[in-house]
Amino acid sequence: MSSRRLAVTVMLATALAVSALSAFGQATALGKTPDGQPDIEGIWQPRAGGAAYSVLPHAGGFFLGGESKTGIVEGGSLPYQPWAAEEVKRLTEHMELDPTGHCHYEGIPHALYFAFEIVQTPKFIAFLHENMHARRLVYLDGKPHPEGYRAWMGDSRGHWEGNTLVVDVADNNDKSVFDMAGHFHSDALHVVERFKIVDKDTIDYEATFEDPKVFTAPFKMKFQMKKAAKQEEFLESDCFGGERDQEHLVNGLANLKDHYYSK
Amino acid sequence: MKFWFFIAAAICIELAPALHAQVADAGKAPRTPEGKPDLQGIWETRNAASFDVSEIAEGHEIPYLPAALEREQKGPRVDPIIHCMMPGVPRISYMPFPVQILQKTGMVIFMYEYLHDIRMVPTNARPHLEGIDFALGDSVGHWEGDTLVVDVTNLNEKTWLDSARHTHSDELHVVERYTRVGPNRINYEATIEDPKTYSRPWKISMVMHRNTEPGFELRDQECTEADNGRAIHPPYRAAPEGDIFEFVRPYPESGSK
Repeated sequence: MSSRRLAVTVMLATALAVSALSAFGQATALGKTPDGQPDIEGIWQPRAGGAAYSVLPHAGGFFLGGESKTGIVEGGSLPYQPWAAEEVKRLTEHMELDPTGHCHYEGIPHALYFAFEIVQTPKFIAFLHENMHARRLVYLDGKPHPEGYRAWMGDSRGHWEGNTLVVDVADNNDKSVFDMAGHFHSDALHVVERFKIVDKDTIDYEATFEDPKVFTAPFKMKFQMKKAAKQEEFLESDCFGGERDQEHLVNGLANLKDHYYSK
Repeated sequence: MKFWFFIAAAICIELAPALHAQVADAGKAPRTPEGKPDLQGIWETRNAASFDVSEIAEGHEIPYLPAALEREQKGPRVDPIIHCMMPGVPRISYMPFPVQILQKTGMVIFMYEYLHDIRMVPTNARPHLEGIDFALGDSVGHWEGDTLVVDVTNLNEKTWLDSARHTHSDELHVVERYTRVGPNRINYEATIEDPKTYSRPWKISMVMHRNTEPGFELRDQECTEADNGRAIHPPYRAAPEGDIFEFVRPYPESGSK
C-alpha cells in the first residue's frame, strides 16, 4: 500500500518537474537512436485530463480529480450501438465491476493515462508502465499479430512514419475498459495509435478505435504527453487480489454516475 | 567433514575464474557498443528452485537460526504467489519463465514474463532508497569485469524463497552476480544474507540458458485473484479453441442484485 502511495507521490513530483520544464520548453532538433530511429526514449507524463475517470467530458470532484470540459474523445461522445449504450449505463451503476478495482491491468489506451517509460531497441520499443507494472513490447519487424492470443494489453506491432510511431494494437481481450465510467469495448477492438514526436519533450498522441461489435463507427482519442526530467526513476507499483467486498465499498460512491455528463 | 568441504569449496572458487575463461574463449561473450558485457536476450533457467531453493543452494542447506525456524513454523502456510504476489528476489530469478534482459546506458532492465514483472537496475552506484520496501526490492548494479553485480535491499518480509516455505525477514540482502560465459549461457550466483533469519550468508548458483527458438517473443503472463479467492492465470501461449476468456470470471457476471 505504501509503495503505491509513494508511486503516486513520485508521479506527482514528476508532473511538477514536467510543468517546470515546459515553462522553458523550446523546440530543438529531434534526436536519433544509433540505428536511425527517431528518439522517443524517456519517462513520459500524459496530460490526459482525468481520462482514467471518464474519457468523455466530466465534472471534477474529490474522487474524480479535475474537471474536463472536453474529455479526450474527439467530438466529446462515443458512437455506441443502442444495446451498448444501455450497457454503459448499467456499468456506471455497478462500479464494483470495474476490472482495475480487481487489479487487472488497464489495456490500451487506459494504461497510457499514467506515467510510463519508453525504452528503444532496433527490434522493438518497450513501454514500461509504473502503474500495475504493465508492459507492452511494440515489435518493429513487420510480423503479423499472433493467432489465438488475447491479452489485457493486446499485441502491438509498430512502424515509423517520419517522426510518428504508428502502432497497430490487436488481440485485445473484452475485459479491459477505457475508464471508470463504464466505457467498454469487445475483443473485436482494433486500435491504431500515432505517437507524433512534436519536439523532444512533447508527443501528440492520437488513436483510432474500431470495434464493430460495440460501436457504429470508428472514433478517435487525443491527448498530449510531456517528457519527465531525466533524473526520474520509476518504482515498483503493485496490486493484487484479496478484496472481497468491492461491491459494498463502491456503494458509498453510488452517486458517482451523476458526475459524468450524460451524452 | 566440514573442514574438507571448505577446502573443496575454496578450490572450486580458485578454479572457477579459469573455468569461466575457458568457456568464454570457446564462444566469446559479446560486448555492448559501450564495452560492457552484453547480457541482452531471452533467458531461461532449467531447475526446480522455485519449488525448493535448497536445490541450488551451496551444500543444499539453508543455515537457519533456531528462532527463525520457529517463526516460520508459526507463520502463514500458503505460498504468497498463490495470491498473485510478486515472487520477490531472488525467487523471481529462478521462476520457470523466460526473462528478457535489456541494456541501456546506466541501466539494465529485466523484463520477466512471469506476472509481467519489471526490474530496473541502475548501474550508477546510487545509494539505496530509504524508508520504503518493495516485493522486488531496490536493485542497484555495477560491473566487475565480465560480471553484472546487483545489490538488492529494501525487500519486504512477505515473499518466500520458494513454495517449500523457506522464508526471510525484511532485513534480507541479496547480491546477485550475472556472468555471461558464452553465447548461450549466463552463470548466476547470489549471496543471501539476513541476520534475522540465517546464521551466516549463504549462496545459490545456477545457469541461465539463452532461448534460441526463432521468433520467440515475450508475452504477458498474468495472475489475478478472483472474488472467490482462487487465482486466475489466463492462457497466454497455447490457447484453447473458442473464447479463451470464457472461463475467466474474475468478477460477478452481472449486477450486484
